[in-house]
Amino acid sequence: MELLTGRRGWPSVVLARAGTYDPGLEGAGIGFAEAAGAWTAWRRAVTTMLPEAVIRVVAESGLRGRGGGAYPTGEKWRACRRMDATERFVVANGFEADPGAQADRTLMELDPHGIVEGVALAAYAVDATRAYIAVGSGATTAAARLRAAVAAAESAGYLGENVLGTGRPLWIEVRELSGSFVVGEETVLLRALEEKRAQPDQRPPYPSERGLFGQPTVVNNVETLAAVPWIVTNGPSAYAAIGDPAEPGTTLVQLSGAVAKPGVVEVPTGTPIKELLERTSGGTAWNEAGPAEIKAVFVGGPSGGFLPISALDTRLSHAALVAAGAIPGSGSIVLIDTNACIVEMATLMTRFLNDEACGKTIPCRIGTRRMAELGDGFCTGRCRPSDPDLLRSLAADTRDAALCGLEATAMNPLLSGMRYFAQEFEDHIVRGSCPAGVCRPVRATAAVGAR
Amino acid sequence: MRTDRVPGLGIVKGMMLTITRAFQPKVTVQYPEVVQPIAPRHRGRLLLLYDEFGTLKCETCFQCAAACPIECIDMGGVDTRDRYHVHWGPAEQYAERREESALRRSGRTVPDRTFDPFELIDLGPLDAVLAREDYNPRRAIQILEGAQEAYGHLPVAALQHIAHQTGAWYSELYGIATSYPHLRFEPPTGHVVAVCRCSTCAALGSGRILAAFRDHLGTDVGGVSPDGAVRLQQTDCRGESVGVPRVTVDGEALPRVSVEDAATIAAALRAHVAQGRPA
Repeated sequence: MELLTGRRGWPSVVLARAGTYDPGLEGAGIGFAEAAGAWTAWRRAVTTMLPEAVIRVVAESGLRGRGGGAYPTGEKWRACRRMDATERFVVANGFEADPGAQADRTLMELDPHGIVEGVALAAYAVDATRAYIAVGSGATTAAARLRAAVAAAESAGYLGENVLGTGRPLWIEVRELSGSFVVGEETVLLRALEEKRAQPDQRPPYPSERGLFGQPTVVNNVETLAAVPWIVTNGPSAYAAIGDPAEPGTTLVQLSGAVAKPGVVEVPTGTPIKELLERTSGGTAWNEAGPAEIKAVFVGGPSGGFLPISALDTRLSHAALVAAGAIPGSGSIVLIDTNACIVEMATLMTRFLNDEACGKTIPCRIGTRRMAELGDGFCTGRCRPSDPDLLRSLAADTRDAALCGLEATAMNPLLSGMRYFAQEFEDHIVRGSCPAGVCRPVRATAAVGAR
Repeated sequence: MRTDRVPGLGIVKGMMLTITRAFQPKVTVQYPEVVQPIAPRHRGRLLLLYDEFGTLKCETCFQCAAACPIECIDMGGVDTRDRYHVHWGPAEQYAERREESALRRSGRTVPDRTFDPFELIDLGPLDAVLAREDYNPRRAIQILEGAQEAYGHLPVAALQHIAHQTGAWYSELYGIATSYPHLRFEPPTGHVVAVCRCSTCAALGSGRILAAFRDHLGTDVGGVSPDGAVRLQQTDCRGESVGVPRVTVDGEALPRVSVEDAATIAAALRAHVAQGRPA
């Protein structure tokens, strides 16, 4: 997927080396990658820093998980290292389960050395000798380049039996996993790596206490790990100075939908969505026609939330997005024009999540289906005026009983739709009409109301 | 020394809890006016319930089979989405007998399809796959992939044979096979229709097209049309669709599909396979 250019002056962290070397070359272009600065952080960490110092640097930088939870990365590593265990693992989550999401895959294809180096640093920090990079089975290019990067790093002496002559072994394996949407969740991913049925486990204990094969495991998104070499090279204060002070750093955003050219761009956290849309190249419909055609943005993938034009001042940070009813998720932002119906789209997303649910918890298996059925009722006119209240109550129960992230966020599309586009829902339910002209709600309810 | 290795400590802990509870006062809680605190890890109890028509509300989720320590629970019937036939042999288990009698009492016919015996297969190729993977249940995915390569899909007989030979539970094998989309339970079909379900395509109307295909092919996503001609799947546009939702037939993307086109395409594909088959 194409890289878009953002505003001049936006710092580039995880995509800093993208385009400076060709990862399609032999050994993922390790020679050119080294010339561009790859593996210098690794050499420096292994030869001059203690593992605790690496954790301290990452903790001071304020780096948070980019997989959706925004958990402080340094804390997670510290918790894993604190555990009394004979073996520890590091798992880089590059599965990218959201349909249509490409941000992580683009990153893995453009800078495989950056990711492998980040994984190596995490493994060094928590004292792991074995690490896995999990990618989706469809991401063949990304997997091939990551494998080439690992092999080249092994023959260059960065990885393998004797890392940089220190006598410490480190093996990194790239694993292609197939499976449904739910495999992107961390406990499910670990089960899939163990080649078991892909279902989530209870948390706590968190994977940092008991994870892969029952051992303490650090699970981080590839985007999170890709920032680690930059932090080690440039220092934690340089990273902490970027973006939102509470959640510093940059994040990858994928623009699609009503845009002239979809693509991926790296933005500092805390940037208002409006500024992102205005300042990003690629000839978005936004730039050409202005916001008139755009009705809403859908942030965060299938379990994300709708934000109306009036809420575009929302900043791109975990706290702000969750407060607004969305999630950062995979970082995808879909621009929705006036031809689409919010009610229909929210229902489709809920239906998708129900189809992809693993079926382990009853509130999820039945709850998401009932939510999708209520949504179908809105679209087809088979609904009662009390249905929105029923949906809210059901959503609260499903969220409270959540075992994994899918269940905890599955209600976001319908709830955020009802929050910001109440008029559109009311048109469907009470008046039996669809403002976008997409659904065909029968006018039965309206007739009953008139009588 | 780790404290969880001290012999007898677990029993002492358990008995301590029993003794403390035994001396606590017994009270009746006036539910729903008073709600008891619910433990944060509580996710409800597994119960087998009937609906108001006397039909079992079993979802064939295999939760109870997976939880049963001596593997005495097994599932019968077809799974929740009417996709997979998971039963073999006559009605033996409590659940099925109860369902049968419940149906009879309510004056309805008992569906025979569910209780059909499974089709027998030549187990030679499967034995070769099992020997190659060393009958190791931890290599279940490789064994299942090998079986699918040998038979084109996963017949019930193959799953049962794998369960016998490796010692893995049928429910566990079934669970693995259903959670990976590339493992199939139906014979391969002539044509594959795939629709992207991502948020971009949904905004462009892929949901309506998918609904039209669902109606005209008579199957849900992941299933095969009743005549076995066309499989309906989901695909991934990778966020690159602009203006047109991604719909593919046998891997080829179609330019622009309307809801009416979907009916025509579905009919054409089903007719094509019907002609190509020996009568």
